[in-house]
Amino acid sequence: MGVLPNKRLHHATQRQAEAFTAALAIFLVIFMLGGLIWTPSVQAEDELNCVLCHKFRGLSRIDENGRFRLFYINENLFMKGPHKRIMCMDCHRDIKKIPHDPAEKVSCTVECHLTEPSGKQKFSHAPVKKVLEASVHSKYDKEGNLKDYPEDYPSCKNCHEQPLYRPLSFFKGESAGISRRGLSRCKTCHQTGDFAEDFYSHVTSRLQKTRESKEIVEVCAKCHGDPAFQKRHNLDNVIESYKETFHGKAVSFGSNETADCLDCHVVYGESVHSVESHKEPTASTHKNNIAATCRNEECHFKAGEALASYQVHTDYDNAEKYPMQYYMLKFFKGLMAAVLYFFVVVIFLELLRRLFPNFSFIKEKPADAESVLRNNSTEKGA
Amino acid sequence: MQNKYPRINYRNGKRFFFRFSLLQRIQHVILFSCVITLGLTGFPQRYYNEEWAKPLFTFMGGIDVAPWIHRGAGSVLLALFFFHTGYWMFLFFRNRIKPLIEQRTLSPVTFFKAFLAMEMMPNGKDGRDIIQMFKWLLYLSPKPPQYDRISWKEKFDYFAPYWGIPILGPAGMALWFRDEFSQVLPGWLLNAFYIMHTDEALLAGLFLFFVHWYNVHYAPEKFPLGTVFLTGYLSEADMIHEHYAEYIEAMTESGLEHEIKPQGHH
Repeated sequence: MGVLPNKRLHHATQRQAEAFTAALAIFLVIFMLGGLIWTPSVQAEDELNCVLCHKFRGLSRIDENGRFRLFYINENLFMKGPHKRIMCMDCHRDIKKIPHDPAEKVSCTVECHLTEPSGKQKFSHAPVKKVLEASVHSKYDKEGNLKDYPEDYPSCKNCHEQPLYRPLSFFKGESAGISRRGLSRCKTCHQTGDFAEDFYSHVTSRLQKTRESKEIVEVCAKCHGDPAFQKRHNLDNVIESYKETFHGKAVSFGSNETADCLDCHVVYGESVHSVESHKEPTASTHKNNIAATCRNEECHFKAGEALASYQVHTDYDNAEKYPMQYYMLKFFKGLMAAVLYFFVVVIFLELLRRLFPNFSFIKEKPADAESVLRNNSTEKGA
Repeated sequence: MQNKYPRINYRNGKRFFFRFSLLQRIQHVILFSCVITLGLTGFPQRYYNEEWAKPLFTFMGGIDVAPWIHRGAGSVLLALFFFHTGYWMFLFFRNRIKPLIEQRTLSPVTFFKAFLAMEMMPNGKDGRDIIQMFKWLLYLSPKPPQYDRISWKEKFDYFAPYWGIPILGPAGMALWFRDEFSQVLPGWLLNAFYIMHTDEALLAGLFLFFVHWYNVHYAPEKFPLGTVFLTGYLSEADMIHEHYAEYIEAMTESGLEHEIKPQGHH
């Protein structure tokens, strides 16, 4: 969706904005007719009929920073997403009229109109923000000072790429399924509207992994896989070293049962937002806690404490940090080179020898049968 | 043994020389079937990032099946290793130790000598053969090396898996049973075993594909397929080319001295 900076436009761009509004109005009128013919299949909570315009795939412009912005909303995706019961204007609060001016960036921590049933309070994502701010991913250190390169630290949407926030990609098409049989139990009592369907999918989608492990690794790799980022924060290429482990390999072949980043870097049973530095005594990756993390009841529960000394993020080129791996690799590479080069040379010479099978720089008497036998018999054992 | 497998056999008027017994050929079939299966399920994991890795791994059963095929083939190979160890020990005892016992000459010295005299043991002739081979290859001698029943190359082929399996097998077992393993040994050993497993496997794979298959299949006179691993018998031309010393001995033993062909015309 359109996310534009909240600053006053310059004089030049103001004209651009006016032109944009005019263009939008024309666009609206032209497609209003179309809208009447192709009635949107799902009206949802779209009280102001926002999708009347935003359903058109070409709805886009170049913003004042020169970036291409696509404002298309795929209704199908929206209706499968977690926000389907929320009105557009609940989040896009600065939009008061249609057609509207460039909208402000949405804050994920606003309170929406939904009442959170367990506490009877307005629903908000603010508690998640709190957890995130206590984690290693907070822009602030413990004393409350801004860390170096604060812009590198993630906010909600850096990880939660709702399909709607990445308009040109495809949703994986699978969401928590609705079992008609399961639903029938709810519907016995909750008969009005789509209440049962909505809450059923709300609950079931949270009872299972909503993202593939591979996607989790990709989300982390957006920052941790970037060499410039690693250098700025003095971090190893943990994405690369993870991918070299059996965990990483299994994930790359599509396994969802093996450990991805979050399985080890979050204390078992805690919110995935609470990743901590391995230096924190409470971190799942702190040296005193690694064994407990590996041996949690879903993973290596049969393992001994000693499994903790397995080095997951091995950098095979780093002789100082991983001397054993470095020198073992050197040994095997050396052995391989020695064996293969020796035999390749022999094979090559043998093929060359076939060119002139009887030629020799040094003449010798060809061996006769008896001398061969004589040579041979000395070697024969019992 | 000699009756079951005559040293020289005739087929369509051509001479063939005995190389491998049926039991040995069966062991070899199990060996290469396991190694190929292990390679097809193992190398896609080593090179998970390459284009070909995913389709091959999917073909081999994907992440849910292929690792189990790998473990199964590895277990069979390890079992074969133990069987083969028992097999050569049995032959060693029957052919070399029992006669010493019967002659009442068994002592640590004769035992050790008998041990070194086994046909797979590297010996002084292998060293001289290698020197002669290089002289010949570098056009410094007109005389190709005259290998005995087992040439140094074949001994190398033999000891490659015989050293490779004890390296790969236990390492693979430790990675398979990592949880049980970590009850007794530290986890960082798994890092070491992983390198041992994957890099020794690469060496074995490359050696087999380039060197072993050259020697037995790709070489111009053999291409596209050497058949001794199936029949157990080698043709006269190949015998002259590869085992001239053994050839002369077999011909002489069979009273065919006058039909011995000279080496070097191939």
